[in-house]
Amino acid sequence: MAEDHHGSSRHMSASQKDLGDEDARVVRVGDAERTSERLEYAGNAVRTAKYSPLTFLPRNLFEQFHRLAYVYFLVIAVLNQLPQLAVFGRGASVMPLAFVLIVTAVKDAYEDWRRHRSDRAENGRLAAVLSPGEGAGAQFRPTEWKHVRVGDVLRIVSNESLPADMVLLATSEPTGVAYVQTLNLDGESNLKTRYAKQETLSTPPDQLTGAVIRCERPNRNVYGFQANLELEGESRRIPLGPSNIVLRGCELKNTAWAVGVVVYAGRETKAMLNNAGAPKKRSRLETHMNRETLFLSAILVVLCALVAALSGVWLRTHEEELELAQFFHKRDYLSKDKDGNYNYYGIAAQIVFIFLMAVIVFQIMIPISLYISMELVRLGQAYFMIRDTRLYDESSNTRFQCRALNINEDLGQVKCVFSDKTGTLTQNKMEFRCASIDGIDYSDITRQQPVEGDRIWAPNISVNTDSELVKLIRDGGDTYQGRHTREFFLALATCNTIVPMITDGADPKKKVIDYQGESPDEQALVSAAAAYGFVLVERTSGHIVIDVLGEKQRYEVLGLHEFDSDRKRMSVIIGCPDKTVMLFVKGADSSMFGVIDKTINSDLVQATEKHLHSYSSLGLRTLVIGMRELSQAEFQEWQMAYEKASTALLGRGNLLRGVAANIERNLRLLGASGIEDKLQDGVPEAIEKLRQAGIKVWVLTGDKQETAISIGYSCKLLTREMTQIVINSHSRDSCTKSLDDAISMVDKFQSFSTDSQARVPLALIIDGNSLVYIFDTDREEKLFEVAIACDVVLCCRVAPLQKAGIVDLIKKRTSDMTLAIGDGANDVSMIQMADVGIGISGQEGRQAVMASDFAMGQFRFLVPLLLVHGHWNYQRMGYMILYNFYRNATFVFMLFWYVLYTGFTLTTAITEWSSVLYSVIYTAVPTIVVAILDKDLGRRTLLKYPQLYGAGQCEENYNLRLFIFIMMDSVWQSLAIFFIPYLAYRKSVIDGASLGDLWTLSVVILVNIHLAMDVIRWNWITHAAIWGSIVATWICVMIIDSIPIMPGFWAIYKVMGTGLFWALLLAVTVAGMIPHFAAKAFKEYFTPSDIQIAREMEKWQDTHDVTHPEVQMSTVVRV
Amino acid sequence: MDPFEVEGDSRKSNKPKYSKFTQQELPACKPLLTPGIVVSAFSLIGILFVPIGLASLSASQEIVELIDRYDTSCVPMTDKVGFIQNSKTDKTCTRTLTVPKQMKSPIYVYYQIGDFYQNHRRYVKSRSDKQLRYKEAAGLTKNCEPEGNSADGAPIIPCGLIAWSLFNDTYTISVNKKAIEVNKKGIAWQSDKNNKFGSDVYPSNFQKGNIIGGAKLNESIPLSEQEDLIVWMRTAALPTFRKLYGRIEADIMANDQLTVVIQNNYNTYSFGGSKVLVLSTTSWIGGKNNFIGVAYLTIGGLCLFLAVGFIVLYMFKPRALGDPSYLSWNRDILD
Repeated sequence: MAEDHHGSSRHMSASQKDLGDEDARVVRVGDAERTSERLEYAGNAVRTAKYSPLTFLPRNLFEQFHRLAYVYFLVIAVLNQLPQLAVFGRGASVMPLAFVLIVTAVKDAYEDWRRHRSDRAENGRLAAVLSPGEGAGAQFRPTEWKHVRVGDVLRIVSNESLPADMVLLATSEPTGVAYVQTLNLDGESNLKTRYAKQETLSTPPDQLTGAVIRCERPNRNVYGFQANLELEGESRRIPLGPSNIVLRGCELKNTAWAVGVVVYAGRETKAMLNNAGAPKKRSRLETHMNRETLFLSAILVVLCALVAALSGVWLRTHEEELELAQFFHKRDYLSKDKDGNYNYYGIAAQIVFIFLMAVIVFQIMIPISLYISMELVRLGQAYFMIRDTRLYDESSNTRFQCRALNINEDLGQVKCVFSDKTGTLTQNKMEFRCASIDGIDYSDITRQQPVEGDRIWAPNISVNTDSELVKLIRDGGDTYQGRHTREFFLALATCNTIVPMITDGADPKKKVIDYQGESPDEQALVSAAAAYGFVLVERTSGHIVIDVLGEKQRYEVLGLHEFDSDRKRMSVIIGCPDKTVMLFVKGADSSMFGVIDKTINSDLVQATEKHLHSYSSLGLRTLVIGMRELSQAEFQEWQMAYEKASTALLGRGNLLRGVAANIERNLRLLGASGIEDKLQDGVPEAIEKLRQAGIKVWVLTGDKQETAISIGYSCKLLTREMTQIVINSHSRDSCTKSLDDAISMVDKFQSFSTDSQARVPLALIIDGNSLVYIFDTDREEKLFEVAIACDVVLCCRVAPLQKAGIVDLIKKRTSDMTLAIGDGANDVSMIQMADVGIGISGQEGRQAVMASDFAMGQFRFLVPLLLVHGHWNYQRMGYMILYNFYRNATFVFMLFWYVLYTGFTLTTAITEWSSVLYSVIYTAVPTIVVAILDKDLGRRTLLKYPQLYGAGQCEENYNLRLFIFIMMDSVWQSLAIFFIPYLAYRKSVIDGASLGDLWTLSVVILVNIHLAMDVIRWNWITHAAIWGSIVATWICVMIIDSIPIMPGFWAIYKVMGTGLFWALLLAVTVAGMIPHFAAKAFKEYFTPSDIQIAREMEKWQDTHDVTHPEVQMSTVVRV
Repeated sequence: MDPFEVEGDSRKSNKPKYSKFTQQELPACKPLLTPGIVVSAFSLIGILFVPIGLASLSASQEIVELIDRYDTSCVPMTDKVGFIQNSKTDKTCTRTLTVPKQMKSPIYVYYQIGDFYQNHRRYVKSRSDKQLRYKEAAGLTKNCEPEGNSADGAPIIPCGLIAWSLFNDTYTISVNKKAIEVNKKGIAWQSDKNNKFGSDVYPSNFQKGNIIGGAKLNESIPLSEQEDLIVWMRTAALPTFRKLYGRIEADIMANDQLTVVIQNNYNTYSFGGSKVLVLSTTSWIGGKNNFIGVAYLTIGGLCLFLAVGFIVLYMFKPRALGDPSYLSWNRDILD
């Protein structure tokens, strides 16, 4: 929406200082040598690639080791290299870390290679640069982009991309206008107009040499630019603004050529400065995971300390025997020193060594593979979200986009949605609906019909016309009413910044006009004017041509005060064909009624106000239009002030605003317009679903209160039975008072609701002014109290930063997951503030999308995104993390029990390669596959019962209780795995390698069956992954045991030949699974969760999907 | 994101292609733990496990095992360590055993050492597998220290603590005063003899140090034929273990008198270990061990109990599966 759009750009430029001479960048036109003489300006070569072949290794490793877990594993790998602590062989000890690092490095290298390739292509493109010619005069010669320098003069032809940020000097158009498409910069596909200054327009480019441009330092504000141009031999400085600069990445369109001088190049261009990635966010689950990781670390330390202490005790009690015990051999009898001990440094040192060795042996208690698994799983989940046909928007041809890859699971826990209105709930396709002209309301829909008759001009947006109004314009003649009506439409046609693009239509007699502009409201108004016979057909920087009822008239544009969010209006000063000078102003009613001369016709003002009220109750966006004829004196006075202000270097913006405010007064009211912004498809249904899912929906809009409320009704956000609390104050005190009233009201309703069954739903409607007072005076706490008690919160007239403030209000005070959704630049701060930011890739450009974590085409996609994908992502990720903890803990506990029978010396019966491969290969694939593919419930069920979303909100799939349970399970299973074979093989000939192989296989089978038991949907991939993993483990163990120089050579083949081996494998598996199976069976039947019941319902209803469950469940005993 | 990455042709549809995989609609089965499945799973396990348990118990019962701990009786009461370390003393020791039940051939003769940590880290790592296999790798003794090289620096083959501590008690067995052969061929794994111990690797510098850990080796026999060493080198998993000494390929009748003449050379006294002679027949569950049978019976019994328990629970607190009225938001309304 236009006002917010402009508002945000003003906000952005506020960060930039006024241009002073001392910190200006001096560019000598056509003289790159001297330009860069004193200060080295960046060349035009760009580098988006992060690494070079030389720096890749150190930089990539440095970045990877930002993960604390990797540092932990590095320290362990280093510790293992000390001879006293060498637990694993060199290769085995660094393998897991090396594996993870290499996988990530290969991924990074590939991405960087692609960037290198695109950089090379980009830098190698050709541009025509003016080079001082020898003899024959200056010529434009093709030069590679990377050799373009600041100060070079470039010539760009139509459809060519701009290699750098340039100030326009001349264009093929006599008026100096150039059209650019900024698709690559902000995604807006409409054409923008840029102008070359009149002063440079006619000078041949080679004669401009010597001119100096002073401009501000490079900054990332795409919508701001301040500079001035000093021509050689002239002391006058010509002001340059945002409309005189074209930016790198844009394309020249509909203009044969343009000549400009480079002011910012390469990495200093605005496009490159804006090329920062989305902000890093961390998912809630990952934060919780860190808490459990700490618990695991504590367990690890306890285990290690226990082993170290016990080994101390053991050494102490056996101290006398160590010297002669063959298995210890404390003394080195061969050393010269007769008392020399071999590798024995006393009990204290031994305890320290044992402790450190224990850390090395038990290291996988902290699951290293979990981090890479999570990344892979998120990648897989993102793949499915992107590929979901239900998240594809036909109208804008966009798929779902995952821009942030690390918060997928947060989508399953959202409790509060903050939504923008325009473009998010509504389509942001403005349609002119009705007008109040001269106090007469033309809003009767029944009278409206499509434009009839043969017209030469066919605007691309068709508008229905009111037949009476058409008649009045055509036949009204010189009546007072007719004149006013014509002036009204003339104002609509002139008071804007729309550029008409004329193309030949299918019918040779007709010309199609495409109205290009930055504001959809203006497009609607100009199209409406065209429908009523005031067709804007040409715009240059100096004049516009309007086809007034078939007669082309030329109007001089003498001045234009652009829209800004302080004034909330814009104005043009027009020189009419009859030499009169007119001021047309349009703007928001609140600002316009302040500058309208109410004494002229107070009845008219009252009638218009009434109409405005009814329009906004219909949910229409209203604008008020006024005008004034300027006397010659007035005009000249204004012109002087305007010129002075627009060439000022300091505070130009403020001065121009002052000039505008000075002229925009005592206006005559012409009328008002009502523009409809249609709701997007499915918005009411989506909001209803979200509400059922227990998600609070807050709407934050820049619109007026009445408009906001009526939109609230139409999208079912507000209902008739709701009690509305309105805070709408104009002063600090009244604001405090209404807030106190609101609190007492909330209290009253809350105490009331405890008695009765039906709670009265509350809705809070608050406006931006009140929010300013509240945030200023530390009443945030009170606002929070009220807001949290209300079912719906509607904030109207809020500025972009306030949106972020409101999100922060909730984020700071609750642990509720917040989601912000918006489409415009004004939503950027809110999107970045919220836990999850979603951009709508719609009409208003791509800034919201660029700042978002996820982007999609329609608001209604929020329902499948949260309720289906969010639910799945959360459930899958939560289970995967728990499972990874369990899986590794089981292994570590099993190792621990064995250590108790080895004199506490941390021998492992399991080969070191199996220890290392355990979490990387033996058990990694199934958990990743399950976390990507498993679904607890089908899409249909999740959408049918939105309440099921509550599972994520209450953290049902990942919490401390589940963690403790799964850890208990892990202890039990490790006991079963260790002690059943131990007791069976006590006092037997069993060798370490054979027993180790049995343990390896048992633990892998057990954890995979544990996973299998928790899988909800079995498809062939799941089957392949789980059973395949067990087979793969078996093969790996066999391969390891086929290497003759391994101590355990051939053990697996030997042990598989004994009946006891198979009997033990079966006993371990069954004994290990009984508690989990029994608890699961009990819980699912006697204390079922909603999800469980929904699963059952799904099963019984879904007849064609049913297979025989017995077949599956028998897998438990199938081994 | 690269701002200059060319956006796809806007006219081409970006609509994701439909496939069962991408829409996550692959055909799948959704097993549910219905009462029927739970009860039958438990019953099935119970029915399967109880007979296996009984079978292994009876198999274990059929095994005849003769156990004789001799380390305490074969040394004088005082200064056991001095006695065993003295290479001059006669360490012959005679033990007489009575066979309780008929033992069918083959009868395995084991020695069982107690509290000897063959799985101690210092011990387990002290070997060089390459040296055992390859003649050229004789010098690879790094892991074997301090039993890696002799005093003059020549590599010890086989090096390391494990080989150094080779068991050296010997048994001569006679039944009813008639000597009986203990076959010491084929006691090691064939795979070890063929592939793990080199047939061209001969012992050298072995047991020549200041302190003798155990048996000496005949330097003219290659390692692949030193079966006692091969058995010993396959380190035991647990602190108390048995190792195969030999096989008696004749039946021994019940109440036969077994006389065993032991050369009690091996020092277990310095660390308080024990030495036991074991004669045992064998079956599919290996040696005599009731545990596996008991374990199966326990698990089977527990499963049957759980099956009954669940049946009772299901009868007392039945719940219709998939009844929407159990959903929490529907329950709230009913309450």
